[in-house]
Amino acid sequence: MNTSFYYKTKKISINVLIHAFLLAVAVTCLFPLLWMIASSFKTQETIFSDISLIPKQFHFMNYWIAIKECDFGRYFLNSIFYTVSVVCGIVIVSSLAAYAFSRFKFPGKNIFFYMFMAAMMIPIPGSFVALYILLNKLHLRNTPLGYILCMINVGLSTSIFLLKTFFDKMPKELEDAARIDGCSKLGIWWHVALPLSGPVLAVVVVFNALAVWNEYILALIIFDTKTSMPLQVALQTFQGEFVTNYPLLMAGLTIAAVPIIILYLVMQKYIIKGVTQGAVVG
Amino acid sequence: MIGGIKNFKGVLVFSLLTLASINLAGCSSQPSTQAKGKSISVWHWMTDRQTAFEELAKRYEAATGVKVNFELYAPSDAYSQKVRAAAQGINLPDIFGILGEKRDFSSFIKAGHILDLTSYMNENDQAWRNIFFPKALALNEFNEDNSYGINTGTYGVPIDIMTIQMLYNKDLFKQLGLDPEKPPVTFQEFIDIGKKIKETKLQGMVSGWGEVWMIDCLANNYAFNIMGKDKVLATIRGEVSYTDPDWIEVLGLFEKMRNSGVLSDGLISMVNKTAEQLFANGKAVFAFNGSWCVNVYKGMNPNLNYASMLPPKVSDKYPMAIWGGAGSSFMVNARGQNKEEAVKFLKWFSARDQQTYLSEKTNNLSANKECVGSISEVLSQFAKSMDFATHPNIWGVSEFPAVIEALDKGIQTIILGEKTPEQVAAEVQKVKVRELDKKKNK
Repeated sequence: MNTSFYYKTKKISINVLIHAFLLAVAVTCLFPLLWMIASSFKTQETIFSDISLIPKQFHFMNYWIAIKECDFGRYFLNSIFYTVSVVCGIVIVSSLAAYAFSRFKFPGKNIFFYMFMAAMMIPIPGSFVALYILLNKLHLRNTPLGYILCMINVGLSTSIFLLKTFFDKMPKELEDAARIDGCSKLGIWWHVALPLSGPVLAVVVVFNALAVWNEYILALIIFDTKTSMPLQVALQTFQGEFVTNYPLLMAGLTIAAVPIIILYLVMQKYIIKGVTQGAVVG
Repeated sequence: MIGGIKNFKGVLVFSLLTLASINLAGCSSQPSTQAKGKSISVWHWMTDRQTAFEELAKRYEAATGVKVNFELYAPSDAYSQKVRAAAQGINLPDIFGILGEKRDFSSFIKAGHILDLTSYMNENDQAWRNIFFPKALALNEFNEDNSYGINTGTYGVPIDIMTIQMLYNKDLFKQLGLDPEKPPVTFQEFIDIGKKIKETKLQGMVSGWGEVWMIDCLANNYAFNIMGKDKVLATIRGEVSYTDPDWIEVLGLFEKMRNSGVLSDGLISMVNKTAEQLFANGKAVFAFNGSWCVNVYKGMNPNLNYASMLPPKVSDKYPMAIWGGAGSSFMVNARGQNKEEAVKFLKWFSARDQQTYLSEKTNNLSANKECVGSISEVLSQFAKSMDFATHPNIWGVSEFPAVIEALDKGIQTIILGEKTPEQVAAEVQKVKVRELDKKKNK
């Protein structure tokens, strides 16, 4: 009786501790998001005097002013276009490359692979000036293509690593069966490898979409014309050297966060599965 | 799952086709921002001034027919990267600004990117030169004995200036039984107010001393006041020791301020944004901040009743000094196709009417000294203090970063009550000797 009570109490105590810890982590993660949303309804004055998460007065106009002041529509479409283009580019190139690294034998295979992996270690801002000069020489500076190619390059290493790890553990019998059915190497990639790598592709899509959606420094360096800039650059107009227009910035950020939250929600069921695919493939 | 993948493939193919067609369109676009004909391009990072800049551009186009495109690239660190990249690619616009230290400025001049404006400044009996605060212009000049190897001349047009000084809350002064029109003039008066603050729940002086350079700024102000400029510069050159009684007196001031209660709690780890928030919300009696604060306080609390004042002096032997002069400047691209048009525009842009408009709209302090009479009272107070302004960039000698760090961190330990001024002075001198030895051995 006593032993049963002891174990029951121990179990409850551990559960309470675990849940308290998880709750604390969840609050820490959610607080910045809630603060952003709350601040988007306040005035510049009340942001600094009223620290509550529920504003006394809701200033919905902040959203309209933010949309109007930074020409939101155009930049929003630019960001959608860049995100879709870059993610598609990364999915195609990285899956082809990962498949080749995993399945084919060619001279310098390991060297090339390690070179890609080494690229993951290079901090992106360190390569901006070099990228600028390269694009300038190729006459791709200030063009969407130049920006998209750079961003595809930025996302390749991690994506190749994730997909290669998956393909390494994919049963070879599936490919043999496809080959017997008359599939070419490209056909096997398209009909067998890609459909099976769905969860990993979901991770690649979400991680890269997030990176492209939030990127603004490279865009700022490459583009000279406002018309080509992504949304995040436009939002910087609310952030001054000494004075930041917090209500408008937070309203803009809230709107900008919506598409990426939707993408995450749509793909979340694949994400955990995808991240762990490297360990078990079946 | 397989159905989902088929859809995914469809999306992929569709996206690829769209991508190809739009990118081809992107390739064929002509992206040049270099001004052609009667058009000038200006790059800057000053978000809060973009609307006013655009309005002035409209006025200039109406008056002259020359179109001016102000291109905003913020935040400032990204802007700096863009300008550096553009310089390497020879893609700089007609007019641009440089952020950073004077050595960055000099590297652009050496690379031939910046036009020497001396002849334009000196035309018509130095008419253009004379409109600026001399100390604002000094930051854009290189003298004969400059250590950067740059030809003597003026290479930039100052747009605005900054001074860093003290501010006090007039309403809290009344609450403490003090005359809001009579801020403390001497250090002793300042310390005495600290004793009154201690008796209330109010905070004393707030500042961004967590970002240590502001400590360095106040310490230098008092060093100039106690021992004079020559002795400060002699210390930097290594001719005077930091253990000199004058330096110990400077360090001792921080101990006195701590003991009196005139410093706010948690000051040494405070970031400037927090300090600004405390002062704007009427929780702190004093602030030590730059002239940009006028705009910041206006946003945080438009009804804040405050004024600026010089740091209260310790000695009458030498004048009190404040850091100032450093602000934003514009440079003309020496390789640009529209150099003359760019210079003409900057002359118009820096003239009184335009600068007054800019000051009124943005609450920044104009580099044009003719604007002082037409700006807000607090800004005007900041501007009038330009006579006391100095800045490390114009001293001609610079202290080792390790020594500055030792001094600033030492002051923090004095405020914490961990070390005495004598101990800190000895430690700073030790670092100074080490750095001087390193330099000699090189």
